[in-house]
Amino acid sequence: MKTSQYSNRHETIYAWLMSAPALIGLFVFVALPLLGGIYWSFTNKRLISPLPTEYIGLQNYWNLLGVQVIRLDPETDAATGQVQTDLDGNPVYPRTRAIVRGNPAYAGFRLWFTKDVLGNRYVVLARDPTFLRALVNTFVFVLVIVPGQGGLALIMALLVNQRLRGRYVFRTIYFSPVVTSMAVLAIVWTFLYNPDQGLINRFLGAISFGSIKPAWLVSADSALLAIIILSAWQAAGFQMIIFLAGLQGIPQALYEAAQIDGGNTWQQFRHVTIPQLRNTTVFVIISTTILAFRLFTQVDVMTKGGPQDATVTVVFHAVDTGFRQQKIGYGSAVTVLFFIIVVSIALIQRALLKSDVEVE
Amino acid sequence: MTRLLKLSIALLILLLLIMNAALTPAQDMVELELWYHGGTQEENDETRAQVDRFNAMQDEIQVNFVELAGSLVAGTGYNDAVNAAAVAGDLPCILDLDGPNLYNYAWAGFLAPMDDYLSDELRADILPSLIDQGTYNGKIYAMGQYDSGLALVGRMSLLEEAGLRIPSSIDDAWDLDEFNDALAQLQALESVEYAIDLKMNYGAGEWYTYAFSPVVQGFGGDLIDTETLSAEGVLNGPEAVAAMEWIRSLFENGYSTLTPPDDNEFINGNAAMGFLGHWMATGYYEAFGDDMIVLPVVNFGARQATGMGSWAWSITTQCEHPDAAWAFMEFMLTPEEILSITNVNAAVPGRLSALAMSDLFGEGGRMNIFVQQLESGIAIPRPITPGYPAVTSAFFTAMDNIIKGGDIQAELDAAVDKIEQDIADNDGYPVQN
Repeated sequence: MKTSQYSNRHETIYAWLMSAPALIGLFVFVALPLLGGIYWSFTNKRLISPLPTEYIGLQNYWNLLGVQVIRLDPETDAATGQVQTDLDGNPVYPRTRAIVRGNPAYAGFRLWFTKDVLGNRYVVLARDPTFLRALVNTFVFVLVIVPGQGGLALIMALLVNQRLRGRYVFRTIYFSPVVTSMAVLAIVWTFLYNPDQGLINRFLGAISFGSIKPAWLVSADSALLAIIILSAWQAAGFQMIIFLAGLQGIPQALYEAAQIDGGNTWQQFRHVTIPQLRNTTVFVIISTTILAFRLFTQVDVMTKGGPQDATVTVVFHAVDTGFRQQKIGYGSAVTVLFFIIVVSIALIQRALLKSDVEVE
Repeated sequence: MTRLLKLSIALLILLLLIMNAALTPAQDMVELELWYHGGTQEENDETRAQVDRFNAMQDEIQVNFVELAGSLVAGTGYNDAVNAAAVAGDLPCILDLDGPNLYNYAWAGFLAPMDDYLSDELRADILPSLIDQGTYNGKIYAMGQYDSGLALVGRMSLLEEAGLRIPSSIDDAWDLDEFNDALAQLQALESVEYAIDLKMNYGAGEWYTYAFSPVVQGFGGDLIDTETLSAEGVLNGPEAVAAMEWIRSLFENGYSTLTPPDDNEFINGNAAMGFLGHWMATGYYEAFGDDMIVLPVVNFGARQATGMGSWAWSITTQCEHPDAAWAFMEFMLTPEEILSITNVNAAVPGRLSALAMSDLFGEGGRMNIFVQQLESGIAIPRPITPGYPAVTSAFFTAMDNIIKGGDIQAELDAAVDKIEQDIADNDGYPVQN
């Protein structure tokens, strides 16, 4: 009795001792900055400034999320009341800025985008259009990269799981981008993406007789796609290793049974491999989602969020406003919102994809 | 076992003693830390050599040279490190700052004015543009060994082949029509791919502000009103819009490329001309010899304007030995040391007496155009405001968007809004005393 109590207490002490390095690290590098960020997000703290920091309540959050929609009426001729048109017959609209500046209700708002709906032109104003664009971009990135990169990783895992000569060489090759610094890769890919002299466009030009020539990072239409391709290529090797471990954990007996039942390769993949990889897939989806939300390095090195905010992401915006524009309070509010979004999505995913279901 | 233990302890103690001895400086030695941004390899080596020379010539002050990673053009990594150190109260004694950033630091009280140290004799010999650039709110906070220059370069043989008039001084610089015509003529040459390299490989950053705000000024616009610090009606006025239209037309007409792969488009003959800072001129001269010619900046109509300002040394208020720091600065500002660095980086020497000794920059020297531009007052300092970080970021973001297809008026309006927002966020940048 006495000995068991003693050893219990002993075990507790050891448990704390063993986890202390990790706990201290988590507290100092995760919990403290998080608490600091939450605190500063309610202030106007600046980086380099002699002015005192003031409590401003939720102002940073209003500035991040403020949106208004106004309908724009075409300019009319003062004498006749007729709608003025340009040379092509399209109605002429006043400059949005004149309206925003002329009405105190719109003070602090900037043009986000305009949209023509049913013959009316609507203008969407935002207090921080860049942040909203960053949210959109980040979600697009995650929605494309999670299935894209996961699928690529699964295909690569299936390939290197074959009993082929030199499969270890391929595993190493596929995994090597993961262990290479993203900053270095981003610089190399900037050269690859060069529209005139880059390897990618030289290749596309050669196979399409010069008809396909995307501007990649230089155009607002293709810049995010370029970032997505690089990111998927860089990180897929990591998920490949996880899928590979999952594949090798599938008992060979299941495949043999399937073969006896007359299942072809596709049926084996569909009814044995996929269900058996369920837990692995759940892990890959959740971890890829969280990692994908943190998109920053590629953007910072390759595009700085441009052109026209096409590649700006939430983390980039936090660093840009907090550190480079020196608004620490505002940048903190960005990160707090970001934290709430990522945690909510991770919780929803966990609820939807319960991983403890056993597959027989 | 015990013998081994004793031996290890003895070794450990010995090691500690050695380390202690190595780390303790000689008595009465003042130690100063100096941060340097890291330019080209040659520039870094020479600056380090200058610090070594200073340490060797006297035995009272030891300057510790710390080079932080940055990039050739106003490295943002370096600025981030300095920002962080300033907040953490961890600034070194002597700090290397890119021209316009110093106003922000001076306003925030991180820099010590050096007016009291600067003798009248020295002040009279310093290049006036350096004084202008280093002054905020009536006090001098930074002093560079050199100033920068922004001009055109061309190859005499190509210019003659295209039948162009070749300007020889800032007084007979090309005007806008002549320049447009020159671009068209050079573009038509068989031997080159395009007319002018605008160094767009540097990307959206300080280069855009440094090189293209003079174009905006040349068209009659500006980034901000120098009196009120406001950008409204200045950066988004019709003159600035016209300037941006013209800049964008260079790419639309194929006269220049948005995506040069590296710094060598002029050297390898792809581009007939280059628009560049002094720092490329040495490499260009090595490539083409006397065929390379420096041309004055174009007179765009409203005024003749070009860039200036470079990295300069400041003494921080966190420095415990400002007198010792100034002793080092005084050494760095001797004509000999100025020439030793400018001979390496081809920047404009920061003292008139040093200029007179320079073959490159003195009268008749092949880099003399840079000096003419600085001395005649057509070189304009970038906006002298503590809000400079917001101004430059708004400007280069807008310009990047515009040349890549954005709506000019909308982008410039957005830039103005950002600058105004920054001024409001900082209560109008009230002057601190």
